Amino acid sequence: MSMTKDPPDFRAVTNFKGDAATITLGGNVDNTAAYRLGEILDAAIDRRPAVMVLDVAQLDFIGADGLLAISHAKNRLTALGVTLTIQPSSALVNRRLRIVELAESSRLERALPERGHLGPEQLIGKEPLPPRFASSLSPEDLRRVTALPTNPDVINGALRLLVELARISIGGADGVSVSLLRHGVLATVAASDQTIMAMDADQYATGQGPCVDASIKGHWFHAESLDTETRWPAFTPQARGLGIKAILSSPLRAFDKPIGALNIYSRTAQSFEIWDQESASVFARQASVILSDARVDVSDTQMAIRFQNALQSREVISLAQGIIMERERVDKERAFNALRRASHSQNVPLREQAKMIVLSATQSALRPNQVLDD
Amino acid sequence: MTEDEYDAVDELNFFRQEAALSHAELWLRYFELGGMSTGFDLEAFLYGVLAPSDHDHDVIAQALNERFAELGGNHPVLYAAR
Repeated sequence: MSMTKDPPDFRAVTNFKGDAATITLGGNVDNTAAYRLGEILDAAIDRRPAVMVLDVAQLDFIGADGLLAISHAKNRLTALGVTLTIQPSSALVNRRLRIVELAESSRLERALPERGHLGPEQLIGKEPLPPRFASSLSPEDLRRVTALPTNPDVINGALRLLVELARISIGGADGVSVSLLRHGVLATVAASDQTIMAMDADQYATGQGPCVDASIKGHWFHAESLDTETRWPAFTPQARGLGIKAILSSPLRAFDKPIGALNIYSRTAQSFEIWDQESASVFARQASVILSDARVDVSDTQMAIRFQNALQSREVISLAQGIIMERERVDKERAFNALRRASHSQNVPLREQAKMIVLSATQSALRPNQVLDD
Repeated sequence: MTEDEYDAVDELNFFRQEAALSHAELWLRYFELGGMSTGFDLEAFLYGVLAPSDHDHDVIAQALNERFAELGGNHPVLYAAR
């Protein structure tokens, strides 16, 4: 038996009896501990066990990278003709493994290069990759696949996948939907089933409900039990009529404003635990990122104005750079640095500093005794 | 922050998250300041997949620092050019 040196909170004990290996895991396998887990599994597999058991009974949490480490170990063992038995398989781990399977079957690519297993020799560069998100799912992966703006089919597909992932991974979730405010009107853009569609529609029709409030007020609303809920008198009886007992709505935000909500419905009252609320907020952030990147969050007019502003800003900065380049006899990058330092010392945004430079240059150019190019 | 920490792989992304900017929002701000790289390149810079030129790094740093200034903070992101 060997005790390993592990990141805080993560415990792993490898036990060999003959050619049967048992690895007992405990604590938290976050994305940093996952690398250690990958090493431990590899070391055990290197000893060519005939049987391998992973005991996860004492595991409190396992993140996406931890699951991938297990999944890679499983593949390595399969290639050797050995079955990996996971016991006792808790509902938590099962649910999360289903996410990984779903993610893999959906061809979600890892952000990291292809690798056979998670040994340290395969880390990129000198440092282990930092944990990126404290979520069980790696939103980066989902995002990478879905970061193809402007195609509505891709966006809707991404949102549908997100809804499905949220439904599977959030304990107590019987249905999930994404509501989006478009041109001031709320609409459901992805929903796990028809009941959920109807539930959202009831909220839009009555102008009441956690989904409406989260979308407009921009913070989360949790109806723990609709039997005792008093905040939305017109909507609550309709939801109860459809068998819904608890609702958790998390706001979606883009460009700093609320744009919609991720809604999770349950047929059981009090079914959302603290960690479910945390997961919901991770999924909501993810949906926000998809929507921000897709730029469906703001109306065409608002977007046009932003781009117009951005182009004007570039123009004025470029002009100011040109003036500095000519005046100081420096290249464009040095001109940018001069601009940046001036803006910092004047405590104004770079764009404003650029405007002042252009303005003063224009004014001096407009002195009456000067001949102007028309 | 010390010089040693300065080249941490995900430094820019760390600050992006601190500044509560989406990738798209950061890219737009970077573009506003004259940045020439695509949103895809910007993400590669953020996650250390591609190394930005000093100039690109500084434009991103400026975009982040202006955001921190808007939020009432100072300019925590260091520049490559002195």
